[in-house]
Amino acid sequence: MGMLRDACPHGAPRYPRVHYGTPWVPIPFPHRSLCFHPCSAPSRGAEAMVVLRAGLCPGLTEEMIQLLRANNIRTVVDFVSSDLEDVAQNCSLSYKALVAVRRVLLAQFSAFPTNGADLYEELKSSTAILPTGSSSLDQLLDAGLYTGEVTELAGAPGSGKTQVCLSIAASVSLGLRQHVVFLDSTGGFTASRLYQMLQARVEDKEEQLEALQRVQVVRVFDVYEMLRALHEVRDCLSQQVGSSAGPLKAVLIDSVSAVLSPLLGGRQSEGLAIMMQLAQELKTLAKEFSVAVVVTNQVTRDSSTGALKSALGRSWSFVPSTRVLLQGRAAPWEEGTAPLTACLAKSPRQPTGMQVQLDIDSDCVQEQRPVTPTP
Amino acid sequence: MQRDVGSLPLSPALRARLLAAGFQTAQELLETGPCGLSKEIGISKEEALEALQVVRQECAGDAAKAAGGSGSTRKCTALELLEEEQAQGFIITFCSALDNILGGGVQLTKITEICGAPGVGKTQLCMQLAVDVQIPECFGGVAGEAVFIDTEGSFMVDRAADIATACVRHCQLIAEAHQEDDHLKALETFSLESILSHIYYFRCRDYIELLAQVYLLPDFLSEHSKVRLVVIDGIAFPFRHDFEDLSLRTRLLNGLAQQLIIIANDHKSAVVLTNQMTTRFGQNQSVLVPALGESWGHAATVRLIFHWDNTQRLATLYKSPSQKESTIPYNITVRKWDHIPRLFRSCDAAVQPSLCSCQTDGFS
Repeated sequence: MGMLRDACPHGAPRYPRVHYGTPWVPIPFPHRSLCFHPCSAPSRGAEAMVVLRAGLCPGLTEEMIQLLRANNIRTVVDFVSSDLEDVAQNCSLSYKALVAVRRVLLAQFSAFPTNGADLYEELKSSTAILPTGSSSLDQLLDAGLYTGEVTELAGAPGSGKTQVCLSIAASVSLGLRQHVVFLDSTGGFTASRLYQMLQARVEDKEEQLEALQRVQVVRVFDVYEMLRALHEVRDCLSQQVGSSAGPLKAVLIDSVSAVLSPLLGGRQSEGLAIMMQLAQELKTLAKEFSVAVVVTNQVTRDSSTGALKSALGRSWSFVPSTRVLLQGRAAPWEEGTAPLTACLAKSPRQPTGMQVQLDIDSDCVQEQRPVTPTP
Repeated sequence: MQRDVGSLPLSPALRARLLAAGFQTAQELLETGPCGLSKEIGISKEEALEALQVVRQECAGDAAKAAGGSGSTRKCTALELLEEEQAQGFIITFCSALDNILGGGVQLTKITEICGAPGVGKTQLCMQLAVDVQIPECFGGVAGEAVFIDTEGSFMVDRAADIATACVRHCQLIAEAHQEDDHLKALETFSLESILSHIYYFRCRDYIELLAQVYLLPDFLSEHSKVRLVVIDGIAFPFRHDFEDLSLRTRLLNGLAQQLIIIANDHKSAVVLTNQMTTRFGQNQSVLVPALGESWGHAATVRLIFHWDNTQRLATLYKSPSQKESTIPYNITVRKWDHIPRLFRSCDAAVQPSLCSCQTDGFS
């Protein structure tokens, strides 16, 4: 099932695991510690922005809700963060009743602190490291793809992003015998190429066909379809229904910029909202179900320096925790077959600027001599 | 598990209002009902009903898929895809070297882009493909029809007629060599008139017409379900002049690319685009690169670049998900059919004219 790290290089983490999508509710109670860990039961859907409804908790009646609404208190957050004495005066409600309701709401919706050591133990037991099929790329990624994280591969057209994704799918489904979900938004997934890669790794035809069956391909050409597909994957995982889902370990998305770039730019801000929604889905999927999420992205040229950088802007740059830039050749029909290099642009564990050489041969993504890391 | 309101395909203004009112999940929307919804956010009842309809559709779609029902047809395992791909035909180009580097010909369900300087032969190849897609299955073709969207006005009907005549002659020679019934039967319907009548020609003069045509294409294709090839000759031309806002151009092009890949996938047809070349200034030299920028390079699944080397035309496969990068020489000939040696394989395989001596009208 992949390797586990023996020791976390940064020591025990100092921060609690954040459940992405839950807003933090800061409560100035002296006996509570300042770090929060949201309710870990995913079925409760810890969303504190819930509209106040009758029956949400005992003591919250319909007339109370109407009075609160008249004072502009509509959601749980509004209620909990307002000054109850003022509210009691303005709405002519009993202060004790309001305090009781607040206590129940906090118990239902707020976060609980957790110990750093417990968190570290949990992380050690739930994280796995998946090999990518290329040892130089593994070296770049500090032993492989970490589950629970989003990794990004960016590159110019023809630089090998789809090939690396196929290589990862082949290695996870064949080597680790885990299921892989491949979300294809460019039409670049070619099953015969995947089959070629599997044939290069193992001789037995049965194993090759089994490995092919473990890779599930979903074609999504629109951002809403992609959101729906991710939601389905989450549903399957949370219910753990059927053998089609299986022990899923990797979700590969090729590419995320193809569905997002028609929406970004210009004066509309809707694109950013959808992009962040997608980012939230990806991170939740990665963290909650311990899968490795790999996305591919385009590159643009930096207007000041002329260097290549990943597309989709600054907001997206905070989403993946590891970013690899694949660089190919400039004008391929003029030079010979120059080797492809992979450069680390962002990583929580390795020094950035590290470069290795990849060689996408006819069988699989093979490696050549790795280049020493440049400071 | 509930769908977030942010992930539903509603209009942005409506979505902003829903989020401001505190709605988080689709379930809450459905529970509130249209009257409550219109009161809460201040929209009319009709709009609320419409919005709830969309939400219900999304959730119903999700539920059907979760129950294992026949949901979207776009989800399958790699093994099923492999079987599909192996059964799929290719559109041959009648130039066996080009077919070899493409892995058998132009692939269906993918976007192929042909870039090249003027005069190098892009429109010729497009016209050849529009004729070749109609070759009957017993001769190794896909027996489909073609849609030709012309933005530059470079489609010459008499040249297309020449290519069609040569193709018919070629098939007739195969039929004479093999003498089988289905060959002769197919030849009855495979004539110059039928070929030309199955090429649907559209002329678009600017980018708005082109975008409109592509957005209307799915309806056209559902009426004409035999179409297996969509050619857009000159995708760069309408986007390269009179465009002040470059970010708008990028957005439009990316949206267009997604539309085209949806068409290619849903209707199982090949989409072929032609692109111009532009100069990019490097540090000490300038190179010829395909036009429309870096982001357009991701639109096509397969990219072919045609260029010159002195007087020899060369074709390079620059980007392909399954083939290696390689370069081959090619020629465009205008030949009359007089003598073709019999070097073809049996009728099950694709028609493969030999490289050395058999030259067809068009590409060789």
